[in-house]
This record gives sequence, structure tokens and C-alpha cells, in this order.
Amino acid sequence: MNHRDRARGCLLGLAAGDALGAPAENMTPEQITARWGRLTEIEGGGTDDTEYTIFAASLLLRHGHALTPADVAAAYRSEIIPLMTGPMRGAGFSELGTVQALRRGLEPPLTGRVHAHGWSDGLAMRAAPYGIFCPGDPAEAARLVEQDGLVSGDGEGILGGRAVAGAVAAAMAGARPGEVADAALAVIPADSWTARAIARVREVLGDISGTAGQGTTGNGTTGQGTAGDGIPGDLGRRLHDAVVVRHYPWTDVAPEAVALALAAFLAGEGDVEASVTFGVGLGRDADTIGAIAGAMAGAFQGEAGVPRRWAERIGPATGKCLPAVKGRHVLDVADELAKGR
Amino acid sequence: MSGDRIRGAFIGLAIGDAAGWPAARHRSALHAPWSRRLHRELDLFAEEHRITTLPVPFALNQPTAPLALGPSDDAEWLAWTVLTLRRPRAEAFRELAGREDVRARISVASALDNLAKGVEPPASGHDNPHFFDDAAAIRAVAFGAAGLDPTDDARVTNAGDGVLGARAVAAAIAAAVGGAPVSDAVEAALAVLPEDTAIGHNARLAVQAGRKAGEAFGAVPALDAALLDHVYSYAVGAAQTVPIALALAEASGGAVGPAVSAAACLAATADSAPALAGAITGACGGYGAIPEGWIAPVRTLAGCCLPELAGRDLLELTEGLT
Repeated sequence: MNHRDRARGCLLGLAAGDALGAPAENMTPEQITARWGRLTEIEGGGTDDTEYTIFAASLLLRHGHALTPADVAAAYRSEIIPLMTGPMRGAGFSELGTVQALRRGLEPPLTGRVHAHGWSDGLAMRAAPYGIFCPGDPAEAARLVEQDGLVSGDGEGILGGRAVAGAVAAAMAGARPGEVADAALAVIPADSWTARAIARVREVLGDISGTAGQGTTGNGTTGQGTAGDGIPGDLGRRLHDAVVVRHYPWTDVAPEAVALALAAFLAGEGDVEASVTFGVGLGRDADTIGAIAGAMAGAFQGEAGVPRRWAERIGPATGKCLPAVKGRHVLDVADELAKGR
Repeated sequence: MSGDRIRGAFIGLAIGDAAGWPAARHRSALHAPWSRRLHRELDLFAEEHRITTLPVPFALNQPTAPLALGPSDDAEWLAWTVLTLRRPRAEAFRELAGREDVRARISVASALDNLAKGVEPPASGHDNPHFFDDAAAIRAVAFGAAGLDPTDDARVTNAGDGVLGARAVAAAIAAAVGGAPVSDAVEAALAVLPEDTAIGHNARLAVQAGRKAGEAFGAVPALDAALLDHVYSYAVGAAQTVPIALALAEASGGAVGPAVSAAACLAATADSAPALAGAITGACGGYGAIPEGWIAPVRTLAGCCLPELAGRDLLELTEGLT
């Protein structure tokens, strides 16, 4: 499997996870199982996850390893803010909070600190291109994604981005699922919410199967459950109990979303369909969890790992969240990233 | 002298707590749940019928006393802090974990869950979606009055700007209780807030806005423009409420009335900025400077967050501190 193949699998998996998870956002695992059994068929288009990922990739293609927070802030000011004529559709609190900070004339890192949602999973959801750009070099992927994150996030939000970029960088070099999770942990401090959340989901999965996270060939025949079944037993509930903040109504908290996405990737043993359907079955920020799990699994298995029926549903971005990326297809972006590194 | 200022800080906080519009909503927790359900239905009715007449907390077949002017969450959490002040903080909080009758900010509710799961401080305050809120800053009024460091307490429920907000409030209260003029109390708070943090950046912006306006009420529009992005759903961020309180305390010359009135005008932050402004200015002017008509309505706690505190006298609780 070559680098281009993994890059295409990564972004196709991300877009498929985003689209598959969109209708399950903010639902509980029990509600999802009651409605779909296992949610396996894409119903509509993707959301902010895919469009912000394409935007992040465009930054990398322009600036490469020299990318700085000032470059990212300049791109927000020239490509996002002027095209916002009304509501900022699909944006989370962190993106609009950042735009407001930029409009006030603040510069990074304050732009990511003065709003109250530095822990947003908005960076984690768009971190995959940084991993594609740095195959086998999780530390550099994490350093690069942080340049982006310093504009819009802070603290655990940046760590969530680092973890996903590091994980994708490892998967791009053929690391097994357990090694991918190790790579995510290696680029964030052990004394962090994100690291503790990842450790807790691994503990839950370790209880289920002594080999969980060790990985197999990722040929689509393994993984937790098959299409039609919900997430097995009470696993979804146990994963929630391990990392979900009960008394908080918003679901886009990076430590939670990143840990649940990694749990899905491990439970699915790196298989795209198994990982993504498991991830979106966890609900909460289901589109982002699906997107991150899809990016890791797609990088691990390559383009052929993404079910054809899903790939056929992924068209050019509509620009409904970010008009600047309208018309761009994730596969073209993947090809450019593969060439441009 | 310091006893007068401590009483001033506590009653000032209770005045600000009572003056903000959310107080009646917190106090309506003393009513039967169905009355709050009716309130939600009236909200929906207004939305569907395009009616601009907004429902206020009401008493249908319920006692009216909870809806009279009075203190709510902030005064109760301050009282709880005084009652537990000398105990290890995680131990004091752990007793609240698992209780179903406690109402608290998101940071505190999440920290209690963390403690119940075995996540200890500082992770209990750090692995917390509302680590940045001002729950600890409110409690810090007690620590400042007692001349104690609020950090260990703050770290149970908060991190980052949430802990810095507590340190800043404790510093301002300690200075004011010690007899410093309001400008020195505000400087003492600014001195513990690094400039590269949101709370440090905002505090300096806010104080500048207050100085430019020259008085508290006149600073309201500038504070709204400079500090409130109106993006997020819960406006109890320490990086907003503490700077607003510092700016209005100074711009009012340390007078409770103008500082609290102006803070109550900023609707988004009216849950806690008036209470913090009232605490700082109350400490500066002392109990003797509190407008007399406010004392009786706000000194007795309602028990809307911590039911065991219903009927407790906030002024009596200050006696242990002096």
C-alpha cells in the first residue's frame, strides 16, 4: 500500500464517518440501537468535519512544515470571515468564538484563549491532514496541528488535535491499532484529561477482550459486531461511563470525543466499516467521532478499506459550512497532500 | 475594623447575588418542579405566539416568599465555604458527591462526579468542561476575608482561568479587608493575573474601560463590547465576570450601589458579576456603608442550592472569621 492510497483512505474514511454520524449526533447509544440497530448506511451529506479538514489541508499545501499560527489567522481573516454573510453554519462555539476574537483584533494564542471552548474537538476533527503530511512522524504531525490549534483552541482542545494528528501519522506508516493509540498518547502529556480519558477507554476495552487494540490484518472480517447488530452488550454504556461528562449538555468536548473515536478504532480493530459504525453508534458528537475513527482506519487500511457504497456517497464539498472549500473533493485533497509533503 | 469590612464583603456579595435577574430563577427551585415546567411551557407559548411579554418566575399555589428579593446560589456557596473553611477541601466536597438535592455550577457538578469516580484534585477541577467558570472565585471571597490562600479549594472544581479568578478575588478581598482603597484592591487582583491569559488580558481591558468611563454605569456598554462575545451558552466564565467586577468596583470608587447596579445591567453575566462586584465594594466600604434597606432582605439564605442552609444568617457566619 503506498502513501497516496493511505491518504485517500484517510480522508475518504473521515468524510464517510462524518456523513454517517450526522443523524446520530447528540443521541445516546441506546437510542441509536433502537432506531437503526447498527447505523451502517449514509443518509445525507457531511458536515463541518469534512469542510474544516479540507480547509486545514489547504493551509498545509500552502505553507508546509513552515506553517505558523499567524498564517492560520491570516487565512481565517481572508477566507472565512469575509464570506460569512450571515450565520456561521455548522460552526462550533470555538470557531465562532475565534472569529469574534479575530474581529476584535486579537492575535493567536489569545484568539484561542478568550473564548470559553478551548477544549472543543474542532481541532481534532480537522487534524487528519497533518497526520497524512507527516507519515511515520507523529511528533511533527502534532507540532504542525498545534500551529493551527493555537488560533482557535487551548489546553485539551490542542491536545485532542495533537493526539489525532499523531495517531493518523502512525497509521499512515502502517502502525497497528494498538500502536496507533500508543502514538496518540506519546504526543500528549500523561498528566492530561485527554491521556486519562484514552487510558480509561482502553481499560474498558481490555476488560472485553485481552487482545483488543492489538490489531489484526484489518480485512473487514473482524471487529466488534457485524452490520445489523448494535454495539455489543453494554459496551457503549460502559465507554460513556468511562469518559462522558454527565452534567454538561454540549458534546464537543475533545477529551471525550477523541477517546471515544480511538475506542471505536480499537474495537473495530482498524477496519473502516467496523470502526466507523462502532464510533457513530456511541452518539454524543457522533459525526466527529465517526470522522476521526474513519480517518485513522482509512489511513490504516487505505482506500480499498472504505466500503464502495460509502465512497460513492462522498461528493465534492458543498461549502455549506465553509464557502471557501466549495467544490473541493477529499480525494483530490488527499492526492495533493500525498504529493506535497 | 476588619470585621466591619468582612461583613461588608459578605452582605455586598449577597446584594449582588440578589440583584442579578437569575436570582429569582435559582430561588424558584424551592417551588414544586411542575411550576418550573409551566414556566418552560409559557416560554414555548410566547415563542409560538410571537408574544413579547416574557414569563417571570411565578407562584401558582406555591408560597410567594422564594420569589421576593433575596440571595441565591452565590451567597449559599459562600456560606458553605465558611462552614467548611478549615477542612481539607477535597474531603469537604466529597461529602456533597452523590447527593441529589444539591444545585451547583457545571464545574462543581462535574468535580463532584470526578471525586465520586476517584479522580482527585487537581484533576477533578482540570478534567472538567467548566474548569474556567467562577464557582471558585465566589468561594474565594471567604478565603480572602480569612486571609487564606484559595488555591487548594479552587483546584477541586476549577483549573486555569477558574483558579486564577479565585486568586484574584481573594487578593482583592484580602487587600480591601485590610483597609486598602479600592484602586489598591484592584491592583492586588491584577498582580496575580498573567497578561497572556484570557482573564489577565480581559481584566486589564476591563479596568481601562472603567477608567475611561470614569464611573460604573457609564462603563457598561464598553465592557459589553470589549469582553462579551455572546457566543457561548453559559456566561459564568471567570475570564469575564471577575474582570467586570474589578472594573466596576474601581469605577464606582468602591461604592456597592453603583457597582452592583451597573453589573446587573450586563444581562449575560448578571448571575455572578454583580455578586463579585458587591463583595469587593462591600469590603472596601465596610458594613457601615451598605444601603440599609438591602440588609434585611439579603442576609437570610433560602436553601435553593444547599437545602440545609435555609434560614441561616450570613452575617452570623462571618463571626468565625473576625
